Amino acid sequence: MDSGPSDETLLAAVAERDMSAFRTLYERHAGWLAIRLTRRCNDRDLVADAIQDTFVAVWQRPRGFRGDGDIAAWLWGIAIRRLVSRLRTRRGVAAVFEHPGAAPAAEDQVLLSVEYGDIGQALARLSPEMRAVIQAVVLDGLSAREAAQLLDVPVSSVKTRLYRAKAHLRAALAEGPS
Amino acid sequence: MTGWHLDDDTLRRYVEQTDSLAEGASAEQHLLSCEPCRARVNAAVGVIDLAAVWDRTRDAIEVPRPSVLERLLHGAGLPAYEARLVAVASAFRGVWLTGVAAVLAFAALAAAVGHARGLWLFLAVAPVVPCLVVASSYDPRLDPALEPELVTPYPALRLILLRTIAVLALALPAVLLFGLVVPGETAFAWLLPAVGFVAVVLAASTWVSPLRAAIAVSCAWLAVVWLLAARSGSPEAVLQARAQAGFLVLAAASFVIFLLRWRRLAQLRPWR
Repeated sequence: MDSGPSDETLLAAVAERDMSAFRTLYERHAGWLAIRLTRRCNDRDLVADAIQDTFVAVWQRPRGFRGDGDIAAWLWGIAIRRLVSRLRTRRGVAAVFEHPGAAPAAEDQVLLSVEYGDIGQALARLSPEMRAVIQAVVLDGLSAREAAQLLDVPVSSVKTRLYRAKAHLRAALAEGPS
Repeated sequence: MTGWHLDDDTLRRYVEQTDSLAEGASAEQHLLSCEPCRARVNAAVGVIDLAAVWDRTRDAIEVPRPSVLERLLHGAGLPAYEARLVAVASAFRGVWLTGVAAVLAFAALAAAVGHARGLWLFLAVAPVVPCLVVASSYDPRLDPALEPELVTPYPALRLILLRTIAVLALALPAVLLFGLVVPGETAFAWLLPAVGFVAVVLAASTWVSPLRAAIAVSCAWLAVVWLLAARSGSPEAVLQARAQAGFLVLAAASFVIFLLRWRRLAQLRPWR
């Protein structure tokens, strides 16, 4: 749909201090990054700060992108870590544990079984704490330390929760659909 | 990529956070590699004022990086905005420092090379350098940044004292270093006079502009040194304990006057 220059072209222009390319890059990515970050942290000001930090970091080190994979994935890696470091300086901000609609509606169940098979149901049965750990470590690729900072729990809890969550999933999948 | 895209319902649930973890994770994985779907998510952002974040981001990258001195002051415990206020003092601009260093080097060299006249020169120059530098650090005519600074509700006393301390921390070691080249006790005889003159300039700047005060003090000192040199021909006079005590009293008295009168700091009114 968008016939503009590719992200790679834009990033190269940003490295040449091109402000309008930077603006385009921001407009393409700030939105979905903000949405994805608000799913990790319910403090909007903090998410806004993390977005700002992310793009300041991109402006300062546009050559940090090594050219492997999607620029979107690279940006997400920066953004989630900026959020973690913002959280580090502001204790007491709750990370999002539970999605409002965590229990899937009937049509979602159908969708899940079609698209994800049993894993979706198995995940849905995990406690919110365990889901949060799975999300941070497995899906977002954070280290146990970063996940601990994001979720504001000790590193040891992240490790035990992750271990237990994997055990639950394994058991649930071995058991088959209920 | 594959022709598969998030359907509208999934997208809406993702944005509203009413989906399950598995569905959300799947959506996120897809979004990383699908620009059209990202654009659809972008269009649905309502929770965060991205235009405001953009303004802040642009401001953040357009602010010049703090100077070395500023970072040093910040590291020493000053808040960032105070570090900037102190560091913009004109005395810290390279030209000033070079000029001061050159004068001192010249005087120290003259003293080291030998005869009494060189020693006199050092004694005449070294004590007035700190007060000249301090005065230039807050004279509004030399510092165009000062006027806007002073219309802000920032305590002028604090600014001037901070700058004075920072300037002295820079100027004193430099003068001391040059003093090492100078033979004998003369190398340190200037310290108390220097402190006294700085205090006098601070006090006098509650009546006249700081630079004028510093120039007056310097001229007076030069006259005294010249008279002494003409009469006794020996720099020892300044070294006498009585003279040194006099400088101490001068410093203390001036500082008290300054603290009593700082609200009338001449530089609070623009000098034209």
